[in-house]
Amino acid sequence: MSQSQIHGPGRNEDDADDLGPDTTGGGQVQQSISTSDDLLDEIDLVLEENAESFVKSFVQKGGQ
Amino acid sequence: MKRRVAGIETEFGLTVVTSDGRRAHEVEQAARDLFRPVVAWGRSSNVFLTNGARLYLDVGSHPEYATAECDDIWDLVAQDRAGEREFEQLVAQANAAYQEKGVDARIHLLKNNSDSEGNSFGSHENFMIERRGEFTRLPQMLVPFLITRQIVTGAGGVIHDEDGARFGFSLRSDHMWETVSSATTRARPIINTRDEPHGDPTKFRRLHVIVGDSTMSELSTWMRIEMTNAVLRLIEAGRPVGTIALKDPIAAIRVVARDLTGTAPLELADGGTITALQIQRRFLEAVTAAFDDLDERMLDLWDRALRAVETQDFSLVSRELDWAIKHDLFHAVAERRGLALDDPQIQRLEFAYHDIDRTKGVFWALQRRGLAPQILSDERIEQARTQAPTTTRAHLRGRVLHAARDAGTDVAVDWTSVRLNAPGQRPISMLDPFQTESAEIDALIDDIRSRSEAADPASPGGNP
Repeated sequence: MSQSQIHGPGRNEDDADDLGPDTTGGGQVQQSISTSDDLLDEIDLVLEENAESFVKSFVQKGGQ
Repeated sequence: MKRRVAGIETEFGLTVVTSDGRRAHEVEQAARDLFRPVVAWGRSSNVFLTNGARLYLDVGSHPEYATAECDDIWDLVAQDRAGEREFEQLVAQANAAYQEKGVDARIHLLKNNSDSEGNSFGSHENFMIERRGEFTRLPQMLVPFLITRQIVTGAGGVIHDEDGARFGFSLRSDHMWETVSSATTRARPIINTRDEPHGDPTKFRRLHVIVGDSTMSELSTWMRIEMTNAVLRLIEAGRPVGTIALKDPIAAIRVVARDLTGTAPLELADGGTITALQIQRRFLEAVTAAFDDLDERMLDLWDRALRAVETQDFSLVSRELDWAIKHDLFHAVAERRGLALDDPQIQRLEFAYHDIDRTKGVFWALQRRGLAPQILSDERIEQARTQAPTTTRAHLRGRVLHAARDAGTDVAVDWTSVRLNAPGQRPISMLDPFQTESAEIDALIDDIRSRSEAADPASPGGNP
């Protein structure tokens, strides 16, 4: 059983596998958002595609 | 408590748009389309999955997912992610069906907390606490922590006020109207006191915290539960942090949400002031002093988040915690495109960040580049879609549901009971959230299998 139980003992070395890799993404690691041109290009495409009407169309009754 | 069961319920935002961004049809219709495959196999839009979690359609056509009971917080985060994947698949199926029929419509499911008009929906954290003890005092002791933990665990976003738009720690804060009450949708409280223990009512209560933001970062989700657990343990152990009685807690939560410096003075009931940073530091110091078995990663990230606010060097956590990731993201995009924070494109970016579709959502684009954390392996998340946690009663529920699915048998399932849907069958109750073995459940599973074999001897086990 895992060590990272709620209120259980802290994580130890043996348990590292259980948590998977530390803070790494799947692909190439970029320096920062502002220097990640391909990311910003991708976001441009989303924002240039009817952003305002998309926003307005998302209206739902509240939940809890 | 040494071991505690916890769970998260998430209400998702649903929108359905045409190719030019207009609303394609009513949200209620989109919700029905989304749940069509669920209703086809479960004959209901309220089902339990083989991983022990519950998937359903809530008031206001909000698709909702409640994780199974977990006593391991990484199991809980995996269960939470598994729910996103269930819905991601349902969204893909619904959109494929639209395309097939030539309907110009695309469903987006957003793991956020408000629509464009400010209607709010939630992400509710549930913690098992003991019935005896100080339930009357516990919530009040927890409130100052919950009001200020957003500087670590908030989802971040643009808050619109009369005097303009600014980036804040949490958008949910503006939808809180009381500290502790039994209301849900009208005057939402920080802690809801509805007494539904989902366990033996003489032993357990369920603490229902509804102030939290829906978080995309696995670390933000994990910290919401892990930090709150540590503080609950502190209160239960009678290790108080000293009285922190805020004069106006609801005014305070809004101040904290808007103040990225963490230093705005919050008035105390007996005079004087305190800051969000001071409150969080006090809780962090208290749990560190009280326990030597707390998770190191939690303590490190908690401390680093506070240091990021103290020093205003957000890069200390800007690849880990949602608010800091979004702070970087929104400012980079606003600068590049020459936008003010109240521009509809920034609102569109907010929705895109919380879009659960991994091919469309901006969070996933960041994660692929190492700009947002990925802690759990893909295998572990996929496994969590069909395997219940093994250390709580969800394990028993999961075994019954797997057997019933394999046999094509109907079972009636709830958090605390299971019953075979056949004449004369009585429910088996599971009032202990830690129960993982049961002779009654073993017998029920044998019964389910033998009925299936009797009905169709040629194919024992049936089709999964």
